[in-house]
Amino acid sequence: MGNLIKITNLAKSFNDKKVLDNINLSIDKSERVALIGPSGAGKTTLLRIISGLETPSQGTIQIHNHNTGYVFQEPRLIPWRNVEQNLLFVKPDADLEDILVKIRLKDYKNHYPHQLSGGMKQRVNLARALVTNPDLLIMDEPFSSLDLPIKLEIINDVLIQWQERKFTMIIVTHDLKEALLLADRVIILSSSPGQVVEDFTVDLKDLNRKISDPALLNIESDILHVLSNVY
Amino acid sequence: MIKLRRTLLGIILFLVIWQVLAIYLDANTIIPGLGAIYNELTSLIGKQTFLVAVVSTIGKVIVALLLTLLIGLPLGFLLGINNKLFDMFRPIIMVIQAVPVISWLTLVIFAWGIGFRGPIFITFLSLFPIALLTTVSGVRNLDKNLLEMATLYQVPRWLVIKYIYLGSLLPFIVAILDVTLGQAWKVILVSEYLCGNSGLGVLILAARYEVNPAKVWALTFFAVLLGLIAERLVKLLLRKVAKRWAI
Repeated sequence: MGNLIKITNLAKSFNDKKVLDNINLSIDKSERVALIGPSGAGKTTLLRIISGLETPSQGTIQIHNHNTGYVFQEPRLIPWRNVEQNLLFVKPDADLEDILVKIRLKDYKNHYPHQLSGGMKQRVNLARALVTNPDLLIMDEPFSSLDLPIKLEIINDVLIQWQERKFTMIIVTHDLKEALLLADRVIILSSSPGQVVEDFTVDLKDLNRKISDPALLNIESDILHVLSNVY
Repeated sequence: MIKLRRTLLGIILFLVIWQVLAIYLDANTIIPGLGAIYNELTSLIGKQTFLVAVVSTIGKVIVALLLTLLIGLPLGFLLGINNKLFDMFRPIIMVIQAVPVISWLTLVIFAWGIGFRGPIFITFLSLFPIALLTTVSGVRNLDKNLLEMATLYQVPRWLVIKYIYLGSLLPFIVAILDVTLGQAWKVILVSEYLCGNSGLGVLILAARYEVNPAKVWALTFFAVLLGLIAERLVKLLLRKVAKRWAI
């Protein structure tokens, strides 16, 4: 598998304050990567640089992709457009039938954002990212405000979509369990300025992971050990 | 129903107080009796000069409002998205806002004499800064996160303008319509009074020369009534728009 993203000696500063420093990272096609680190580690900034919303202050970033889907932390839905119209806004010629069924939005396609729960809004946020048929799916703490059952349901939907489409996935999260359920690689960033501290491979074959799986718990314990030095 | 009854009661109370004041103060030059006002009202309705004046005033209000919206909204939009342009236009807007209406009136009379253009121009100058500056603040207040989302998904510019800018501006446009419509009636009447050759303002001026306060109040009643009807019609239209845009 070739590199989809190659980041070399990347640094980013805002008003002379360095938020990212010396980031070197390669991400392969179809990899599922979770970025974990304390607040101020520059995780979101790194995602914004990868998606092209920010430019690095130093270093280079090479991306070999055409489409990026971005699941924002807050849903960023247009309040006066319904679900269907919000999805068509990013891809006017999209056939929405399939995605509405798979992301469980079919019965809500005529609802406006203010008529949706937090979980449903995040589903629309996810569906909007998927409707562009991305080869890179970026998720910035997409489940942070959701209850556990809803969170697990959406994680499952994301994994089903990944299995079908095999896009590259980068997720930023504070929740280690969430990272372990979704990713096959967990990268730990230090606090300000953010630097890569550790790069773990989650060596679990089964995509349908359980939080209580002993193998998963073992990896979790290793990562927690590293995190205790970072936080 | 109870609300309607209370409103009616309020109106009756107001009329009773008016009539009592008219009788006891005996200040006929300011508060004429209700009977005298009613007689003026009924005699005005049948007169052609009155109907022509009403049509003339309504026409001027419509033209002044259209000019204000057609120039104020697009220009406000441009100045809202472009700070350099806003800085360039700011002195002109400040001048329009700061120059007293009486100065404009004098200049208008010099330029066009007494006629229909003066009241429209004066009203436009009074309303234009409201429309322009409200639109500018509407553009500046829109959700930058939505714009960033559109940038990320490379949504064409015209779709962003149609669905994000216009949608965000709609509550501001509603506010502009609400405020300018209310102001337009008042300003048109004043400028008709001072530099017009037709309209309700001119009739009020004539009533002044006749020293006929009952006629002044009768004309004022019609002016208020027209203003209220226009406000209702616009509110009805805006409710439909709001429903369509789910705001």
